[in-house]
Amino acid sequence: MRLLGEALSQTALDVLKYAFLALLFLFLARVMRVVILELRTPVLAGATQGAAPATAGRSAKPGARLRIVEPAARKGETYPLNEELTVGRGGGCGVVIPDDQFVSTVHARLFRRGSDLFVEDLGSRNGTFVNGQQIQAATRLKRGDRVQFGETVGEVLR
Amino acid sequence: MTTTTAHRNTELRLGLLSVGITAFGYVLVQLPDKSDIPADLWFFVSIFVGIYVVAHMAVRQFAPYADPSLLPLAAFLNGIGFVTISRLDPDLARTQVGWMAAGVGAFVATLVAVRRVRTLERFRYSFLLLGLLALLMPLIPGIGKTINGARLWVGIGPINFQPGEAAKVLLVIFFAAYLVDKRELLATGTRRLGRLVLPDPKYLGPLLLCWAVSILVMVQQKDLGSSLLFFAVFGAMLYAATERAAYLIAAFVLFVGGAGIAYNLFDHVRDRVSTWIDPWVVAQGKGFQVVQSWFAFGTGGASGTGFGRGNPQLIPNAPTDFVFSAIGEELGLFGTVAILAAILLFVGSGFRIALQADRPFPKLFAAGLTTIIGVQTFVIIGGVTRVIPLTGITLPFISYGGSSLVANFVILGLLLRISDENAQVRGASRGRRASPGMIA
Repeated sequence: MRLLGEALSQTALDVLKYAFLALLFLFLARVMRVVILELRTPVLAGATQGAAPATAGRSAKPGARLRIVEPAARKGETYPLNEELTVGRGGGCGVVIPDDQFVSTVHARLFRRGSDLFVEDLGSRNGTFVNGQQIQAATRLKRGDRVQFGETVGEVLR
Repeated sequence: MTTTTAHRNTELRLGLLSVGITAFGYVLVQLPDKSDIPADLWFFVSIFVGIYVVAHMAVRQFAPYADPSLLPLAAFLNGIGFVTISRLDPDLARTQVGWMAAGVGAFVATLVAVRRVRTLERFRYSFLLLGLLALLMPLIPGIGKTINGARLWVGIGPINFQPGEAAKVLLVIFFAAYLVDKRELLATGTRRLGRLVLPDPKYLGPLLLCWAVSILVMVQQKDLGSSLLFFAVFGAMLYAATERAAYLIAAFVLFVGGAGIAYNLFDHVRDRVSTWIDPWVVAQGKGFQVVQSWFAFGTGGASGTGFGRGNPQLIPNAPTDFVFSAIGEELGLFGTVAILAAILLFVGSGFRIALQADRPFPKLFAAGLTTIIGVQTFVIIGGVTRVIPLTGITLPFISYGGSSLVANFVILGLLLRISDENAQVRGASRGRRASPGMIA
């Protein structure tokens, strides 16, 4: 009996050993996920910093704006469309949408090339839509186009 | 702001998991001997949890935008190290808890005192002076002490510590600040020497002097691990600042030259090399610890003997230099791979913080601090697995050792400070642009 008990407890200790090792890798997998999420948030600092001072000095073409039409709570908020406008849940974005869970931290950007206005998805989880069509690449916007990020919809005015 | 709380909540969740792993490991260690859960478990768990709750609250308060992965990784490594030490030597483990508290104290103090990384840049020469002083302190008669053949200790009253650990951080501050100023001058050559184009010696001089002093002092104190660390960190920082591979080659050549001279001058260096090449001929003598380390890894196999069921106490210096071998015996290949992966993730996060910094000083500083952790890991793990000759140095956050633990916590605090600043700079620069024209 003692021998059997001994063998059982050895097995139990082995099981605990593997459980412990599994826990180590569970922790590492969790950290990995956090790191990957961090990496997916694009570092816009380098890309946008150069453009920022230029726009500040020059007066942007007046008129082009993005007006929120949905959700009702934010309806009517208007943002000027200069060289670049970022949209996302993150605090650093030009348009911050903190309460829409379908919007990524940095979801999309609207930018200007010459006199044309474009919208580009920045690897968001749920995509960016123009007039109900999901965009695959930077897409030109015309007046009256409806741009959707998550559950938030904006209208282009110019 | 939502990203802030999200980051901190992630940190809390991961931190709780690593504290839980530590407690689980602590139970496992006690099981084989007594087969019941030790009474002092909850006391210990509460201290460990308390220490990391303090650290976490300090980050929430003083660096709310900082990277969420670094603190939990440190807790993970620290916890596994603690369990291994308590399994090897319960008395050391109790002291280690004290050092952990001191380390987290230093961590909080770093976050509170260093509100802007830029402040450090301004006092570069003070830090150089302090760093060199810290390196020289063990040589001062009266307070300097020799322990295990290396004169790197300072004893004041009952407390012994290694000022060299502080010197690492202090000199990296100086190097980063100096290189930011002079990197363009160092990257372009003006003096021609045969086919080589060298930068002006005026700008190279202070670097070489600082380098030479630290190496000489290290050799004088018979601390080969640290001198190797200094070489590698400074070489890497020169390369990062100038983007000139020539500096890497130069550092390597200097290192090989220095190693050759040291080999011819010092017996202990020759011993280290000969036991590296063949430890078995001196298996009962100078090669004993390396041979025991190999036996430990071999006994451990793939999944280890399990906590408390091996004999890692047979390895000399198991709680300090050979802690990785002790983990290898009881947790096996899987456990050691987990340790390596955790350190790799830590180093990866450190370099990511360096890449995200948009000003040169924090960038170089973060790269330098991260290199300390990475190189230190390579030197000691390479040593105990016989990839390179063994040089005694601590495994970051895991080994027993007060000075090194406190220094690592300061490094952690500085990295979090830089990461927090990065996030704020990014947020602010975008916020500024959006606000003036906003028609709300």
